[in-house]
Amino acid sequence: MSEVRTLIVDDSSVMRKIVERALRQAGLDPLVVLEAGSSTEGLDVLKAQPVDLILSDINMPSMDGLEFLRQIRAQNLAPGVPVVMITTESSEEHVKQAIQAGAQGYIRKPFTAEQVKERVLPLLTVA
Amino acid sequence: MLLNGVRKAAIATPGARGQDGAEPAMTFSLRDSLHLVADPANLDASVDEVFRLMLGVSCERAEGPLAPAPESVTAIVGFGGMLSGVCVFRCGADAAMKVAEHMTGMAFTMLDDTVKDGIGEVCNMLAGTWKGRVPELSARCGLSVPAVITGTDYILRVQAPEFQLNHFYRFQGIGFAVTIVCDGIQ
Repeated sequence: MSEVRTLIVDDSSVMRKIVERALRQAGLDPLVVLEAGSSTEGLDVLKAQPVDLILSDINMPSMDGLEFLRQIRAQNLAPGVPVVMITTESSEEHVKQAIQAGAQGYIRKPFTAEQVKERVLPLLTVA
Repeated sequence: MLLNGVRKAAIATPGARGQDGAEPAMTFSLRDSLHLVADPANLDASVDEVFRLMLGVSCERAEGPLAPAPESVTAIVGFGGMLSGVCVFRCGADAAMKVAEHMTGMAFTMLDDTVKDGIGEVCNMLAGTWKGRVPELSARCGLSVPAVITGTDYILRVQAPEFQLNHFYRFQGIGFAVTIVCDGIQ
């Protein structure tokens, strides 16, 4: 697998590290991780450099993950790049909202590395 | 996701259709299912799931109260919507550092921002997992971002809650407490 440039957006630095570790355990190698502590930072990263995959929390202060996703699509940032939401919100309604906003995947916290592998790797194969 | 009695109760509600046979506006009250929402087993299962998946450890219920600690950490996540209240995670500083160590694989010697961040995330996942066990609650109840308080000698007090679950747990000799306080339910 070629280098996978991955943007992880979460206001928790601990969760960003945990997601990175799960991606590595899932076999994403070589993996280049770009971190953003807010949606605004995430948009700035996407304006500055290309990525192959985006993983974002939903429940964040200021701009939540769904609005972040809408902004990505509205501004045509990262066209064709799969976005996976990682969140504690797990209802069908939340999943539907994420899909409508343009997400290709949804992972509920807490998660295992195996779940990350199952949800993320097929998206990269398709992309 | 577990399908428990709340969804079944909603489906089985009499008079689900209007006189013209059209779908009526969905009215749902958690109050009729308070015993399910307040089921202590849901909290135990949520704690077990979060600690097993995110920290790789098993927890067991323990007797309270927590042993006195020179400094303690409290994380709070608020519920809003059909149910209002808070999820509170409390532990001593040493326990907080141990939790963060299990989450990140890093060792900590002080209550730094990473430790506080980790405890806030644990509380966030506990709150989300707990409400996710009642599907109608999951969809109609939002979570606040976590707030983390550190200090000594403080007491959480809520006036006349609808219900309160206050459980103590232990893993690898470390104690912590998880409290769900519901102060309003629709």
